[in-house]
Amino acid sequence: MTGTYFVRRVGYGLITLFVVMTFNFIIFRIMPGDPVSLILNPEFSPEVRQLLREMYGLDQPLLTQYFLYLKSLLAFDFGHSFYSRRPVLDELMARLPNTLMLLGTAFALNVVIGVALGIKMAARAGSRLDTGVTGVSLFLNAMPPFFIGLLLLLAFGYYWPIFPVRGTMSVPPPTGQWAILLDRIHHLVLPVTAVTLSGFGSWYLYTRNNVLGALGQDFVLTARAKGLTHREILYRHAFRSVLPPIVTLVFLSLPGVITGAVITETIFSLYGVGRYLIDATLQQDYPVVQGCFYIIALAVIICNFLADLVYGLVDPRIRLR
Amino acid sequence: MAELVVDNLQMHYRTREGDVRAVDGVSFTVAPGRALGIVGESGCGKSSLGLTLLRLLPDNGRVVGGSVRLDGDDLLAMDEETFRRRVRWRRISMVFQGAMGALNPVLTVGGQITEAILAHERVSLADAERRARELLEMVGINPVRFGDYPHQFSGGMKQRAVIAMALACNPELVIADEPTTALDVMVQAQVLEAIAGLRRQRQLSMILVSHDLSVIAQMCDEVAVMYAGKIVEYGPVEEVFVHPKHPYTQGLTQAFPDIRGDRAPIVSIPGNPPHLADPPTGCRFHPRCPLAGEDCARLEPVLDAKGSPSHRVACHRVAEDGSVAEVKFG
Repeated sequence: MTGTYFVRRVGYGLITLFVVMTFNFIIFRIMPGDPVSLILNPEFSPEVRQLLREMYGLDQPLLTQYFLYLKSLLAFDFGHSFYSRRPVLDELMARLPNTLMLLGTAFALNVVIGVALGIKMAARAGSRLDTGVTGVSLFLNAMPPFFIGLLLLLAFGYYWPIFPVRGTMSVPPPTGQWAILLDRIHHLVLPVTAVTLSGFGSWYLYTRNNVLGALGQDFVLTARAKGLTHREILYRHAFRSVLPPIVTLVFLSLPGVITGAVITETIFSLYGVGRYLIDATLQQDYPVVQGCFYIIALAVIICNFLADLVYGLVDPRIRLR
Repeated sequence: MAELVVDNLQMHYRTREGDVRAVDGVSFTVAPGRALGIVGESGCGKSSLGLTLLRLLPDNGRVVGGSVRLDGDDLLAMDEETFRRRVRWRRISMVFQGAMGALNPVLTVGGQITEAILAHERVSLADAERRARELLEMVGINPVRFGDYPHQFSGGMKQRAVIAMALACNPELVIADEPTTALDVMVQAQVLEAIAGLRRQRQLSMILVSHDLSVIAQMCDEVAVMYAGKIVEYGPVEEVFVHPKHPYTQGLTQAFPDIRGDRAPIVSIPGNPPHLADPPTGCRFHPRCPLAGEDCARLEPVLDAKGSPSHRVACHRVAEDGSVAEVKFG
């Protein structure tokens, strides 16, 4: 890997980020509705009104506002929520762990289950087991996570109440670190299951098709002729050769872990990023929306960058320059 | 050094249109240290024959009759695990078209040779790698290229690496399936040279499958001409190519330019090879044969020694003393 490649990719990333930030600025200024009216009490006198405008910097020329905006975003200062009046970053940080625990766990399970199952079924493509697994995966994949979530809640929260139906922890929380951890996991089981059941299918199908294609390649015939075992042929030759696109997809999907899952979070009453973003948008809570967009853009750019780097590591044909 | 005896081998592919009889009653012997060429048009079953010998057939392919013996061991009767361990690569290896993707693009060339050694012998990784380097050197590749990936090799180097790989476990018999087809003439000559040299050095038996008569003529001792899943002519290379008897073989040799002889026009055989799910009755070549008579469509000719004991041909038009009319195509 050459230094220039690294520098250039970082350069592209920064340019993209800058463009996103600029759009983010423009969009909120051409949208209908005056944000100031949201935080101002109509009873306020014009003097107070003017004072507040100055406080928020809204009296400045647009260009100055723009540079102030860029400066604060780079410092992760997203301002205060119009509603809670608390710093946006604090609000986000309070919700991010919930989203990360839900979607991070589900994402890991999706990838592991989908890829492992995909390899195994590609090896026995056409068998009854393969047909069954593929059918079930397709079916689950077509089901939205909230529907599976509702079914799970009904079954394991209501009729057979072995899992909690809402939140991320018991109120009041149990005492002791292990008890707290177990309590958290207990609350996560149903939402994670819902997201995983509806999500692993695409990983399964993608892996299965790729590995199946690789198994038809000439180099697999060579590997068989060499007298390698099924395992060696399947993993070292077939799967290894399709690892690059799969790894890329993992990194490209990773940002989804922080953007949240609005409906799933709502159904399971989890205070997560997805719900927060939707609520903020509906309430025209611009600082929150801007902050969220910025963080999401940053995550997408970083993950794209990582995908490029890792692709170069797993595919020798890609020379990074 | 080993003797391979193939007797009445039959291999079918199951397809929607019925069974495709890709190898239909083929018999031949490869004596120790000798090279047999198998020649024929695309789709005549010659590649299927190679895959059958190493038992690498796809799921719909199956052997329905006959036997394959290597020094007396019945290869078709062995269970899969024993065959994998004892025969594949260790006793019979295969040279595929390296330029066309016989090497895994994401693994190093050296690693792919090393893994073949490690699959069959209890040696340390270091020893296996040392031997892989020697093998590369033997086929004229600088051993420092051990850690290179296939895309860093030229077509000819890839093919030579594939040959080095085929010799990794000191096999007794090598099956080379169109080893030079994708290469240009100069590189083809280098690769053939490498194969010939190694064969002399190691007293290897070889089966060379090709549609290219000149490659077979250069490399082989005997030749079997295949048409529609059957051997139609079989004998010493010189005999068969200089005095072809079967009308099909005559057609093949006429379809091939000779750079030394007169500038004879190149003549092709009209028509196409038959579909093997529903081959013609009698002699399978009769619909395309200028000499065909009424009996040819009815009776299937057998591969017989006519005239000379080593040169056998399956044709009703070849007389008992081996004489035959010269066939003019076109």
